Amino acid sequence: MDLPRLHFQLNNRLPLGICVLNAEYQVLYWNDFFSDRTGQSLAAIQGQNLLEMFPAQSRYLKKKIDSVLVLNNASFSYWEHQPHVFPFSSSRPITGEETLMYQNIEFLPIESEDSSVHNVCLVVQDVTELASYFQAEQLLSAKLEQEGAELKALNEKLSMAQSQLLQSEKMAAIGQLAAGVAHEINNPIGFISSNLQTLQDYATRLLKLTEFYEKVVSKTGNDAYLAMQRDMQQRLQFGFVRQDLPDLLKESIDGIDRVSEIVKNLKAFSHVDNAQWQPADLVDGLENTLKIAANQLKYKVEIHRDYAEDLPQVYCQPNQINQVFLNLLVNAAQAMEHKGHLYLRAWQQNKDVCIEVRDTGPGISSEHMKRLFEPFFTTKPVGSGTGLGLSLSYSIVKKHHGEIQIHSTPGEGASFVVILPITGPEKTADLPGSEQLIS
Amino acid sequence: MSTLLSELQRDALQELMNISMGQAANALARLIEAKITLSIPKIVMVSAYEFQQMFVTDQYWFTRQSFLGSVKGEVLTLLARAGTEAIGELMDYVLPLDDRSRKELLLELANILAGACLNGFSSQLALHAKLSMPTIFQPDTRQAESFRWSSTLLLEVEFQLEGTAFDSRIVICLEGGSVEVLIGKLNELLED
Repeated sequence: MDLPRLHFQLNNRLPLGICVLNAEYQVLYWNDFFSDRTGQSLAAIQGQNLLEMFPAQSRYLKKKIDSVLVLNNASFSYWEHQPHVFPFSSSRPITGEETLMYQNIEFLPIESEDSSVHNVCLVVQDVTELASYFQAEQLLSAKLEQEGAELKALNEKLSMAQSQLLQSEKMAAIGQLAAGVAHEINNPIGFISSNLQTLQDYATRLLKLTEFYEKVVSKTGNDAYLAMQRDMQQRLQFGFVRQDLPDLLKESIDGIDRVSEIVKNLKAFSHVDNAQWQPADLVDGLENTLKIAANQLKYKVEIHRDYAEDLPQVYCQPNQINQVFLNLLVNAAQAMEHKGHLYLRAWQQNKDVCIEVRDTGPGISSEHMKRLFEPFFTTKPVGSGTGLGLSLSYSIVKKHHGEIQIHSTPGEGASFVVILPITGPEKTADLPGSEQLIS
Repeated sequence: MSTLLSELQRDALQELMNISMGQAANALARLIEAKITLSIPKIVMVSAYEFQQMFVTDQYWFTRQSFLGSVKGEVLTLLARAGTEAIGELMDYVLPLDDRSRKELLLELANILAGACLNGFSSQLALHAKLSMPTIFQPDTRQAESFRWSSTLLLEVEFQLEGTAFDSRIVICLEGGSVEVLIGKLNELLED
């Protein structure tokens, strides 16, 4: 068998580019792979400087070739880093998406008899197919990843919506119950209250009458009558009755006033009266809410106010927004076990009004932060919190097309900022009204 | 390891490694025109667990590269994450390195170091082995069980580039059958 001839044929049939250079970068040999693609036969370019033939990549080629000559060690070039060292056109000129061939190149040292290296062999492999497959796969995986993320976001949204639905159903039930109870209690309270007033009036008159009779009896100077009167009064403990009667009535009236106040609050909570959309002053709302929450705040909290002047009115459901403030204030108060400071701030920011409630409590840990708006999530002891406050606040603020921002550094307190658009939700047509909560 | 190599054999191997690594450092120093220091090569005796622990670090990048010939195995190269910019500059890369050029630099470095080590090592022992293209190795994506560890021999050397934070460790792992070839060669040398 004619081995050199076989080698020669193989050289030109291999799907590899083979090019041999000497230490001066002159081409000693290249196979058909090179001449087919450059259009230059071996005879035409033998002895020419490869770096001059491919000037765009000469710096890179020189570095690689020098490294082989110095180190007597093969060097490699990857399509991922240097895709088109030789400007050969794609191996798929008609159907391929690529215009240039992707190449892996090996730079091999060729040892001479004395095992010193004077020549370098370049082996070019066409990896266009592989590269385009790899790139397509990467695109695909990026797309998959993106779709996965979208799906995940959608799922989260769904479960959020579900929990809020549950939430608003619960609130609707509570609202309905509260409204019913309030209505039923209101009537008897009305007549009890007015009867008590009348009773108080009658009692005063009776006592006056008794005093009058006492005076008349004492005027007669009749010892027998006086003794009988004294005796009867002692038997009935009239002295004490006379003293206690007005107090009893006064306490009862106070009590019934308190009950009717509670009923009024209950009605407000069920939004029967006033879930109207209207322009409202948020600072007024905050201050009013502060009075309601005063019980929780007094003694242990020092309040600092910083309200911007001339804040515009905000188109909102004031009662519901007050509910949000109440939740934030109560949370802040409960966060501060001992003495603390409560910073209230209001300012305008472009087309929004912002209200900040900041406390100096222990702050919120990052693991709790994620679940803050989850319904029924609470860190308070059993019985102290329902875990509904913030999630209700969240849905109220969302309904107003606003947002709640939370900043907290554990150990340094927490800040809640309610941001509401001055004009209210853009589309007033799809405004959820009060009926959503009580129907 | 002691079960594989006698003390005498190990000393001989260590000495051979020392010479070949010196040549490797020399070659690299010439290429990048910077001073390189290297540790005395270690023929280390480590358990499978320790071997696996070698890759539990965020201080290094890893590359791997197989070799084939009268001895077979893989060369693993650990390249410090710190100081790659400095060596990139010496090696004529455009700074700052982006992800792609950093990978290119790492692979080139690994190839130079591993090639020099293996060349020196095999020529000292009159063995021959050809290195394939190095690739980036991400061991965290592999289970430790998949390491075919039990029959490998581990030769390790550290390179340091003076004046920078850069250092690297070359670990040559020989396959079971190749260890016997190596021992045979060592014995020939020792008998001479």
